[in-house]
Amino acid sequence: MAQLSYREAVAAAMAQEMRRDQNVIFLGEDVAAAGGVFKATVGLYEEFGPLRVRDTPISEQAILGATMGAAMTGLRPIAEIMFSDFFAVCWDIVVNEIAKTRYMTNGQVTLPLVIRSANGGGARFGAQHSQSIENWAMAIPGLKVVAPSNAADVKGLLAAAIRDPDPVLFFEQKSLYGNKCEVPDGEYVLPLGVANVAQEGSDVTILALAAMVPKALKAAAILKEQHGISAEVIDLRCLVPLDTKTILASVAKTGRLVTVEENPRLCGWGAEIASIVAEELFWDLDAPITRITTPHIPLASVDVLEDVMIPSVERIVSVVSEMH
Amino acid sequence: MNVLMPQLGETVNEGTIATWHKKVGDKVTKNDPLLDVETDKVAIEVPVPADGVLLSISVAAGQTVDVGTVLCVIGVAGEAAAPAPAAAPAPAAAPVAAAPVAAPAPVASAPAPVAAAPAPSKSAQMLSPVVRRLAAENNLNLSAVTGTGKKGRITRQDVLAVIASGGQKSAAPVASAPLAAPAVSTPSAGAVPAFDPRSHIPFDRIRKLTADHMVMSKATSPHVLQAVEVDYSAVDAVRKKRGAAWKADKGYSLTYLPFIAKAITLAITEFPRVNASVEGQALKIHSLVNLAIAVDLNFNGLVAPVVKDCRSRSVGQIADGIRLISQKARSNSLTADDLSGGTYTISNSGPFGTLITAPIINQPQVAIMSTDGIKKRPVVVESAAGDSIAIRPVGILAQSFDHRAIDGAYSAAFLNRVREIIEQHDWESAL
Repeated sequence: MAQLSYREAVAAAMAQEMRRDQNVIFLGEDVAAAGGVFKATVGLYEEFGPLRVRDTPISEQAILGATMGAAMTGLRPIAEIMFSDFFAVCWDIVVNEIAKTRYMTNGQVTLPLVIRSANGGGARFGAQHSQSIENWAMAIPGLKVVAPSNAADVKGLLAAAIRDPDPVLFFEQKSLYGNKCEVPDGEYVLPLGVANVAQEGSDVTILALAAMVPKALKAAAILKEQHGISAEVIDLRCLVPLDTKTILASVAKTGRLVTVEENPRLCGWGAEIASIVAEELFWDLDAPITRITTPHIPLASVDVLEDVMIPSVERIVSVVSEMH
Repeated sequence: MNVLMPQLGETVNEGTIATWHKKVGDKVTKNDPLLDVETDKVAIEVPVPADGVLLSISVAAGQTVDVGTVLCVIGVAGEAAAPAPAAAPAPAAAPVAAAPVAAPAPVASAPAPVAAAPAPSKSAQMLSPVVRRLAAENNLNLSAVTGTGKKGRITRQDVLAVIASGGQKSAAPVASAPLAAPAVSTPSAGAVPAFDPRSHIPFDRIRKLTADHMVMSKATSPHVLQAVEVDYSAVDAVRKKRGAAWKADKGYSLTYLPFIAKAITLAITEFPRVNASVEGQALKIHSLVNLAIAVDLNFNGLVAPVVKDCRSRSVGQIADGIRLISQKARSNSLTADDLSGGTYTISNSGPFGTLITAPIINQPQVAIMSTDGIKKRPVVVESAAGDSIAIRPVGILAQSFDHRAIDGAYSAAFLNRVREIIEQHDWESAL
């Protein structure tokens, strides 16, 4: 076990898979010699060279068109979209081509590709570079959606995404890049679609994703200490496939559900889970399902406003303690 | 007029209010259902004793009080306005197991009574889906439950606590309670399975008691099944000869069961250890033979009322005893005494034509007999003149015994003795 940062784990997972499989290649803006604007891919160019690690022009459509073509012709490409906000300029190829190719060719053409992207707020990048778009992504049939909360999961889940036979959108939360934790040495792969019970508890289930997970864990500690409330914190890890089994088992146990979402409120992922839980577990609920989200307005650039908008530890503590 | 907790049986000194059918302020008519009372053995309905108005209720549903405790007061209409706590005569002798409930029940289905009492806050009346489900599944009236949730709401934990405390209460009697709920398991607070009223039938009280008892029995006693094939010709002859007159006289048919019961009673004299209970590291032999007879309640549950002291009864008297308790079981009028004191149990699946049944021991007994279907079969009859094949009414008697208490040879010898008695006894004079 080594202490790795979230950004080091990105490079570690890619290096692990590129060593394992010659067909794995990587392309994006400033990802090669510069090691990425978030320094998440440092060292790959040096180890794997310019044929397998490529800088591209500033054109997201070109990156994803090349990625799709590479996947169609036998490679396992990894593309980087520098900020997830930029998916908006290349949705056509993602939504209408990449997500649908397997289905429209009756499985004759598959696309084993990964699109990595820095997602989410908290880093003072303003409304156009801070969006949490995981709920956009999960709304498109044909894509898998992964968003890890810590370095170990980054390594295991990114490796799994690269090995997956179908397109995976892999969201790295940019405020987490500096966070360190113990990461298993050697080959490490986690299954996609298996949530992690990050903290066991009995009174309420808190579902969180990516940067909301460490906040939920801090909130759980405060709830325990100051309010005597035992919160179970579940790190979803993936939105598609969604681990409903773990979610339903937990809510059946606790009778209460709170989702903590960084995406804007309308049609956020928590709404989908709330509807599943209401349908499957209505007779087990002891309180209304409650969602904690960023409000449905473009994210502010000003630090104090950004902090007010994105769910905080204090907000989680206050909402959960109020519902008891 | 005070309505008191009734005596539900000689050996029973307390009862639990299951349901109030009337609310404070209701006009009541004599013989209307007033409330349901239950013990761990029976549930009975208490009727309104006289016309009038229900002035107060002093024991809430779900609470257990001693026999003789004042449950409610019925008076004339003019007194109706009296506030409940003042009107409730102090139940001097009664231990105050429960604070008198004056306030209207904060249950969603019960509209606030006319009497002006401070309405509980709106949120305290709101019950969450899981609380409603648990209350329905466990037949709980939550009016006496104090909510610990936000603004006095009753939480799931509150309901689970009520269920847990109730479960502990019903565990007391040991030797005399054949169907007493043992403290084996209460619903775990952990995994509550998803409940769907479209496909899930909640366990009622008798189903829960049976479920707990069966699990407890299987966990307590290592069961061994042994069976013998019995030729019922001798019994059949008497039934043929006397059956029509019996039916004309008594109004019910003379079945095989009282004969089998008598044969078991007689065989127990020679094999007393099957008529016993395990008590600690000892086997307690019972002097009386009190036969518990499993009675099905039209597929809605099982009870095992007892025909007491079968040694002193003839076959006919045993038949009368079985008839009486079966009728009481089916009319829901068994008392706690009818259900206690069994020393050996007979489970009779025969009318359905079963071949063999492996019954579960009725704790704390150590053996149980299943009487299965009796059918005419070809049987080889040996005689000095040579073997021949005859048509005989034949059926299987199957006994499960507790291998802690006795061993296979003893049980087999007992079964063999039962078979001999059935085949060879002078049944005509025994009737």
